[in-house]
Amino acid sequence: MRTNWAKVYWLFGLAVAALVLGGCASSGVKNPSGVAVTEMRPDERGFVAGTGVESQDLVAVTDKMARSILAIPEIANAATPPVVVLYPVQNNTRFPINKDIFLTRIRTELNTKARGKVSFLSRGAGAQTDPLLSALERERELKAAGQVTSDADKDKPGVSQFKGADYYLTGKLEGLSGRTSQGLSDYILYSFQLVDVRTTGIVWEDKAEIKKQGLEDAAYR
Amino acid sequence: MPCSSAGVGPRALWLLVSALGAGALLGGCATSPPAKAWARTGDPLADGLAAIANEPARDRVLWQYRTAAVAMRRGQFAQAKALLDDALLTLGGISAGDKSARQARSYFHREAKKAFRGEPYERVMAYYYRGILYWIDGEPDNARACFRSAQLQDSDAENKQYASDYLLLDYLEALATAKLGGDPTDALKRAQALAKLPQPPALDAGANVLVFVEYGNGPTKYATGEYHEQLRFRPGVSVHQSAVLKAGDQTVELAPSDDLNFQATTRGGRVMDHILGNKAVFKSATDSVGDAALVSGAILAGDHDTRDVGLGLAAAGLLSKIVSAATTPAADVRCWDNLPQYLSFAALRLPVGAYPATVEFRGQGGSPIANLTKSFTINVTSATADTVVFVSDKNQ
Repeated sequence: MRTNWAKVYWLFGLAVAALVLGGCASSGVKNPSGVAVTEMRPDERGFVAGTGVESQDLVAVTDKMARSILAIPEIANAATPPVVVLYPVQNNTRFPINKDIFLTRIRTELNTKARGKVSFLSRGAGAQTDPLLSALERERELKAAGQVTSDADKDKPGVSQFKGADYYLTGKLEGLSGRTSQGLSDYILYSFQLVDVRTTGIVWEDKAEIKKQGLEDAAYR
Repeated sequence: MPCSSAGVGPRALWLLVSALGAGALLGGCATSPPAKAWARTGDPLADGLAAIANEPARDRVLWQYRTAAVAMRRGQFAQAKALLDDALLTLGGISAGDKSARQARSYFHREAKKAFRGEPYERVMAYYYRGILYWIDGEPDNARACFRSAQLQDSDAENKQYASDYLLLDYLEALATAKLGGDPTDALKRAQALAKLPQPPALDAGANVLVFVEYGNGPTKYATGEYHEQLRFRPGVSVHQSAVLKAGDQTVELAPSDDLNFQATTRGGRVMDHILGNKAVFKSATDSVGDAALVSGAILAGDHDTRDVGLGLAAAGLLSKIVSAATTPAADVRCWDNLPQYLSFAALRLPVGAYPATVEFRGQGGSPIANLTKSFTINVTSATADTVVFVSDKNQ
């Protein structure tokens, strides 16, 4: 019987090709391609580059905070626009951030959406480690020394000191991070406060939480 | 009935051509565009910047690491900051879906094809240097963030005993937390638990002069195994074993807090090592199959009745040999080659003023190493704001 060598060659060639192309050096490795980062916030999902603070987080968090601030009676029902000083947020996460960017966006949101309801003052943060309380004390001293205005002399004619603040707006970023062979996880709690300068009472506080997870490509594990 | 010789030739030829074509195709996959030509000047900073601009994109982060270290040692902190910020953008992202990483896992591309990020000890150092730079800029909270990220880079060691075991990173996290008015207890306890002898100095939140010191030569990488598929670390050799800081009337012993040789060699196996092992097995198997097929084919081709089979088998053997040759299990040995071996730190209280200072490096037995003492001036401009000094035995 005559052997059909052409068929044999083809089958052999296909077998070799299947071995070469179908074989994978990553066999036995779980998720060799990694798992794309997934934003865990329920109202928005998307692919992101990392598990840290990103622009979409900034937008979502500051939008929520601005809306929340506008709803409180101290702002919504104030006879005269309260004066607010922005105090840099504290970063207690593992991600280095531009600390001013959150408050800058909240301020611009408030100025855009509620023009005239709140007025903002420019104040330096002072020393690098100056905690909020020191800043509040300084504000009170400035008022007491007459170097800035207080409620008592708001309407006096000819007063030309710097304006005094009614509230300090500040915030804090707290983080919880974990890394195992299953991937990398980062949770960040964004909390913001409006603090009454006279009483140091917290008149408003709100938070936002974002959790992200991802898994590196096996080539980096 | 045997095949006629007229019919054998074209089939065997076709198989040989196919084999050679496949070989060329597979071999071609492993090649990559050459780096653009650029002239070395001998100045590591200028050369590093030129390499970043001209070397393949996959080596960009590697050159940024190296060049940032040079800039740090020259006191060109703005330059170092820019380089590290760009490198950390890559490092901070999740690599899932990275095309170069996918290629690096394939049989026919080298691991070095992937965009360089470095092994954990290298990634740790990128964050560590950036943390120092943040502290220089008066941002201890961002510095702390970098130290935390650095520690996290070291958290996936095979043996959990060696996970996140940089003493200095926990200590600096504690110090920054204390300075920011927080509770440093947890981080300080972790640092103390990690300490071999001696224990880290007591935490002084009132210290206003922070001195970061590094010395010695860090580890390098090499590959071993039949196909160089096993990544290994060669410890750096350092004559320096300790250092002493003298500033004003204060003298501080700068014992090593962390040893990068230890860190590099205690990480354990990587997932990628498993993939490279698979590549090596595949390379070896296809090579053996090729040998067997070639020998068998040659024997069979000698007989007129089995000549067709023999030639076909030989062609398949050749193809298998070509596939084997194109398989690249070699481990990636690109490394951040100008790292120090030892990291050390001191915190002092100094009133406002200018203070002549020295860091004296000492060898085995505590004797000073000639011509290696670094002299500088510490300018303290505030009793409350931190003055940060970075000293390397490689300072230029």
